[in-house]
Amino acid sequence: RLFHAAAVRWGSRSLASDASAAREPSAELVEVPLAQTGEGIAECELLRWFVSEGDQVDEFQQLCEVQSDKATIEITSRFKGTVHQIQFAPGDIVKVGETLLKMIVNGSQVVPHDSLASSPDIPLGVDTSTSPSREGNAPRGSLSTPAVRHLVKQYGLSIDDIQGTGRDGRVLKEDVLNYAASKGLLQEAPSALEENVGQVELPEGGKPLLDPHFYEDKSIPLRGYQRAMVKSMSLAAKVPHFHYLEEINCDALVQLKASFQKENKDHDVKHTFLPFLIKSLSMALSKYPLLNSSFVEETNEVILKGFHNIGVAMATEQGLVVPTIKKVQSLSILEITKELSRLHEMALQNRLSTNDITGGTITLSNIGAIGGKFGSPVLNLPEVAIIALGRIQKLPRFDDEENVYPSSTINVRSLPYIHT
Amino acid sequence: MTFGSVIERNVARPLMRLVTMGGAPILQQLHLEERLLRRTSDNWCIVNDGTAPPTIVMGVSGKVSELVKIRPVLRDHVPVVRRFSGGGTVIVDQGTVFVTFICNKTAVAGLQPFPRDIMSWTGQLYGKVFRGFGEFHLRENDYAFDHRKFGGNAQSITKDRWVHHTSFLWDYDVKNMSYLKNPQRAPEYRQARDHSDFLCRMNEYMPSRSVFTEGITAALGEHFTVQHTELEMALSDHDDFVPSTKVLSPQDLQDIISSKEAPTVERVQGWPR
Repeated sequence: RLFHAAAVRWGSRSLASDASAAREPSAELVEVPLAQTGEGIAECELLRWFVSEGDQVDEFQQLCEVQSDKATIEITSRFKGTVHQIQFAPGDIVKVGETLLKMIVNGSQVVPHDSLASSPDIPLGVDTSTSPSREGNAPRGSLSTPAVRHLVKQYGLSIDDIQGTGRDGRVLKEDVLNYAASKGLLQEAPSALEENVGQVELPEGGKPLLDPHFYEDKSIPLRGYQRAMVKSMSLAAKVPHFHYLEEINCDALVQLKASFQKENKDHDVKHTFLPFLIKSLSMALSKYPLLNSSFVEETNEVILKGFHNIGVAMATEQGLVVPTIKKVQSLSILEITKELSRLHEMALQNRLSTNDITGGTITLSNIGAIGGKFGSPVLNLPEVAIIALGRIQKLPRFDDEENVYPSSTINVRSLPYIHT
Repeated sequence: MTFGSVIERNVARPLMRLVTMGGAPILQQLHLEERLLRRTSDNWCIVNDGTAPPTIVMGVSGKVSELVKIRPVLRDHVPVVRRFSGGGTVIVDQGTVFVTFICNKTAVAGLQPFPRDIMSWTGQLYGKVFRGFGEFHLRENDYAFDHRKFGGNAQSITKDRWVHHTSFLWDYDVKNMSYLKNPQRAPEYRQARDHSDFLCRMNEYMPSRSVFTEGITAALGEHFTVQHTELEMALSDHDDFVPSTKVLSPQDLQDIISSKEAPTVERVQGWPR
């Protein structure tokens, strides 16, 4: 995928004169130049070819290897097509921009010359997945990111058949999914996960909370696109994640806590914001159980956990601990407050039990307690999400009439794993 | 300590397998590296502390007659190896410490798989290793203390992965340097200095080799979960792999002298399967 050679099509349609090109009336002869490999590099030495004239090549297939100063670099093909003419031999010095080879490609893969950036300083044909700002170099006929093209391949489709609804006719993921749906290819995932999610209902009254079945784990096998995505990301040995940052107005929360404090007759109980946030998280998890799940790589399954066992990060002299409050969905705010206090006390005395620190299904990191605005949470595997809470601050905000008023806000940063 | 860092140390970092060797022949090391690059999808760090016998190692291309004094090399039976990565010519021996990174192009978040970017990233990594020991710089493509080079780099970038390897001069024998010619293409900062003025020895800056290698493991730990891997594990499988790093035979060298033309020898042919 590195160093796709961009294609240049000369002004007038120039089809190859030999018979092989004439068989494909929509074929174009494209000149594939050596792309820029680094600042100040004006030329490379051609080391070897991986293809010969007449060979069919696929998109992303290695074409040749060049040497640029200290590095040998494999050049891969931007297009699917046929090698028509090789212009350099091993040992030759090729200047950046010179034509390496000519290829016969399907016309829709090629973009007109005048719409390509012609400045030699701009790396031509650099893979869009590594530098999204260069997406403009993609051929107009099938403008899309490699991730989308991969999805197209997953469904066994041709990107040329898909109408792009994005900017400049870009083919987006939704376009692919809609097209696949129209072809009847979407019986399984990505809808599978969403279907299962829809089946979990919010508790009505107290009844479900007493029903042990309500707390059972449910397993969902990953299929299709999710499976492929996760598999490839696992191969790269990296947990896929994205950050979501939200600033939330919590004036109502401040009032609620104040009212609890006013009603509080028990001197051993001190009301803080955290139990309210823990309970709110649990209620949100009932609505979006996918965030309270764990991913099992061996079986490619997502397990929707039955209990809301919310881990709360705490700082102790020994370091960071994350004790968990079990089955939060069945606890009241007062019960959560008491349990949180108990765990905190145990943590400070270094007396947390194994049960206290295991079995978590999601983690809340309350960095606000030590004064930071927001931290940088990282996943506590095999959980699929972690939520970092900042300090509650009073900040100036505008109301609907554009008057400034003081508002309590909290920054919440979350890091979920599977983002379907 | 921030809340993020404790969890960070153990999760969400790609695995990097660390293989340490001592005195392994450089030909074997290069064969191993190329195999790991082309035949595995893991991230690797190879550390080879010293090598024997003293060997001249040339980049994938480059004219032997321009870089090596062939007659003394033939006379003294110094092995000459052409490696699979780019870059220049070095002579390596017991005083050389090799460090190699082999990574998937997605292994380091935000790092683009281009020569300059990789060079810069490794330079930053080593900056942490050498902090406090000397005024470390990445000068063009070399690692230097002040203006004196002690580490030479080369890379190989494939479709999905890259190798960045370095030969570090923990110590060197001036006698050995005399087998090499001053290259025509030299970094600007060299300014026509000969080897003794251009190079320096790491042992004049750091107390021990292990301090150096431990520093590397620590620096890597900020980006990877480093796992020590036995050499046997790294060597297993891939018996069908044919490496492109080759030894130039005495006959090859003799032919070069005879031809006086210095065509590049042993150009890598075909596609290693």
